[in-house]
Amino acid sequence: MTEFHVDTTASGIGVVRPEGRLNMVAARQLKSVLADLVAGGTHRIVVDLADTSFIDSSGLGALIGGVKSTRQQGGDLRIARPTEAVLTVLDLTNLTKILRPRDTVDGAFDD
Amino acid sequence: MPHALDAAKEDRRQRAVESLGLQLDRPEERFDRIARLAHLVFDVPMSSVTVLDGDRALFPGMYGLPGRELPRVDCLCDETHAGGALMIVEDASLDERFAHLPAVTDLGIRFYAAQPILDPAGNVVGTFAIYDTRPRRLDAERLTAFDDMAAWAQQELVASTEMTQATWVQSSMLPARALSSDSWTINGMCLPSLAVGGDFYDYGIAQGVAHLGLGDVMGKGTGAALVGAGVRSALRGTHSAVVAGVDLGVTVTQVARSLMADLERTESFVTLFEAAIDLDDGYLRYVDAGSGLCLVVRPDGEVVRLGGSDAPIGVLPDDHWGELDVQLEPGDRVLMFSDGLLDLVDEQVRWWEPIGALVAAHDDVNSLLAGIALLARERTPLDDVTAVAVYYAPSPAPLSPSQEDSP
Repeated sequence: MTEFHVDTTASGIGVVRPEGRLNMVAARQLKSVLADLVAGGTHRIVVDLADTSFIDSSGLGALIGGVKSTRQQGGDLRIARPTEAVLTVLDLTNLTKILRPRDTVDGAFDD
Repeated sequence: MPHALDAAKEDRRQRAVESLGLQLDRPEERFDRIARLAHLVFDVPMSSVTVLDGDRALFPGMYGLPGRELPRVDCLCDETHAGGALMIVEDASLDERFAHLPAVTDLGIRFYAAQPILDPAGNVVGTFAIYDTRPRRLDAERLTAFDDMAAWAQQELVASTEMTQATWVQSSMLPARALSSDSWTINGMCLPSLAVGGDFYDYGIAQGVAHLGLGDVMGKGTGAALVGAGVRSALRGTHSAVVAGVDLGVTVTQVARSLMADLERTESFVTLFEAAIDLDDGYLRYVDAGSGLCLVVRPDGEVVRLGGSDAPIGVLPDDHWGELDVQLEPGDRVLMFSDGLLDLVDEQVRWWEPIGALVAAHDDVNSLLAGIALLARERTPLDDVTAVAVYYAPSPAPLSPSQEDSP
């Protein structure tokens, strides 16, 4: 079962850390976590993928949905520290242009 | 320790449960309803619809139990899962399999009856159970009613008429037969996971050109299947242009533009691999829209990955797609597939190695597809497994000089 840790940093950036498999069931949860953050006024979000062991197309869909909804509000969603398995999927689907992996959570919004 | 199911069977069971796509952690009225009614029909103080998730036993439907989760080892239903058959225990305190469990020692359960709930592939994905604090038995009439209610629970847990119907409609839209000529054989297959899924494929030949496509719509369910059907028709609409030689990048970009509004509305996106092969000379043109899942396996076993850097359709509104190419030679084999197949191989990072080896090991298209189907049966897929294979026959070996002609 996937768990989600949600924090907000001092500079107002939302940090979401899914643990485990980001499959169809977990993607639904992630989608609502992201929607809640955006609705609550957090428009800059980092999804920390360090503990995400697996992602499927539904998981990617939740991330892309987050990119779209944050950008509509003038913010962005960025991903940090993807595992090798997750990176493989991002590479395959050519999504690293839109979801460029960042090395650290703290530095994800530095550029 | 969970009950000593062998590891493969347990892996399969867990995958089958996950592919149901249920939110198991919360009570569900439709399951609670069954448990409530069981309490009345069988005059028992407790009833449950139980699902095993890893080392936990969850009760998405229950009546009269103190909670909705137990360690799996403490749950009577673990034994029924392992046995896979109707279990009736008149007095659990006299049964060494159960007498030590907290359900018996603390809750005081004596009578236990449970029927396994099976998915269409025969995996045990749950149980329907009733419990009583008095030892008892079920008469023939109650036993029939128990079977009926278990069938109801099974229906609620694994199937709905809509899904069954949609699966049928979906499979009837795929090409019905293999295409073959002297030099080429093309065939495809789609093994839907439990729910109807978003995979589709298509192929056709006209004017000496084979036009093939395989796509995967994000997510599962009727929504994904409908989007898939829409993409497939849009691609079919480009068939005559493609076989006439129009650049695939142009046609895919057109298709993407026409689908953008639908994809935005359904918050979905589509990965697609589309190819056109000139059957005279083996020249293959393709577009990779975020699929990356196409291999060419050469006669010497070399595995070439066909992939580009274009994104899936529906991600960015003003994206465009470009055509790439590769020259096929006699003896080459091409396999395009969906990520459901990736999930079935152990090597997740260098996945093209086991899949390339699978292609190399099968000398005709149908035995390759059968090999993939077998893999899917061994390991219950979480996602649809879809594949299209193209084999280019080896050229006839040049005649070797006969003995008589030798000097």
